[in-house]
Amino acid sequence: MIYEVFARKDHHQELKHVGSVDAADDELAKVYAWALYDEESWVEMCVVPRSAIIPVTEHGRVPVWGN
Amino acid sequence: MVEIASGESLNAACRAALKNLLSAIADTKLLLGYHYGEWTFGTPVLEASIANCSLSQTELGHVRLLHGILKSHFDEDPERLLESRPPREMAGVEFLDRELPDWAAVVAATLVVDGALTLALHSMRESAFLPVRNVVDKMLEEERYHAHHGRGWFRALAGRGEAPRSTLKERVEAALRSVEIWWGPEGEPEDALLVSEGIKSRSNSELASQLRRDLAELAAACGVELELEGTAQFDGWDPRTRRRGDSSVNEEILYHMRGSKNQIFKLT
Repeated sequence: MIYEVFARKDHHQELKHVGSVDAADDELAKVYAWALYDEESWVEMCVVPRSAIIPVTEHGRVPVWGN
Repeated sequence: MVEIASGESLNAACRAALKNLLSAIADTKLLLGYHYGEWTFGTPVLEASIANCSLSQTELGHVRLLHGILKSHFDEDPERLLESRPPREMAGVEFLDRELPDWAAVVAATLVVDGALTLALHSMRESAFLPVRNVVDKMLEEERYHAHHGRGWFRALAGRGEAPRSTLKERVEAALRSVEIWWGPEGEPEDALLVSEGIKSRSNSELASQLRRDLAELAAACGVELELEGTAQFDGWDPRTRRRGDSSVNEEILYHMRGSKNQIFKLT
């Protein structure tokens, strides 16, 4: 299962997308995110299953107001 | 609460006991670091390789911290600990004496051996001995991810069918038998002294029970039946090596672990 990884460097910044990991479950996703994206001293990091993300726009298409 | 700031302030028996315990934790962490490093390649998925690489780094970092304490407070020479001790003097968990034969063995080492060390460290969070208390939380914070990795892979392998599940069961039980010996017999005098002096909050027997409970809970949730009851024999058990008999770490592993083969390149 693919998980998207989000993190922030300090409490004043917003969470930003830093990458993704492929893991069998939430617990392994946490380890892999910690191990793969350790280039910064993050104050917060979290993972979200890609399947839990609700798309607002169709992939690759600019949304048209009123659709 | 009594606070002890230096090794010299400990009474002689307590100092010897704590030196043995810290050396044994450092030796096991050194071997864990080696095995995790070896298993940077050959894992079932690339993410696990990268995780093992990180786990190896943190174990070696912990060895460095513990060797620093052993040097400053127990007159121990880290160079000797790393490079020149005979294998028979090392006090690592026996499960790590040989190459880990498969991924299930790595998972067992992470879950059981690494988990046992984490429990031992946790018992020193409020230690009267400040040099240890001051570094324990940092180590425990990093160990959190080691625990996730062990538990996550146990669950994953337990759900993969009969062959991986039975190998996993075999490796975890072997690791646990090895750890039971490393904890030592119930009421072991050095351990009892460390508890009574406030260096540790719980005895090794209590920590062993905690480990068995944690494993039982995880195994039950995954539908794995583990044989968890201890059958360890302790005749001739030595608190310095935390084992009985003449077993010791494989010489080839020591050779690869040590820098003595690169002595001529050493920067002094």
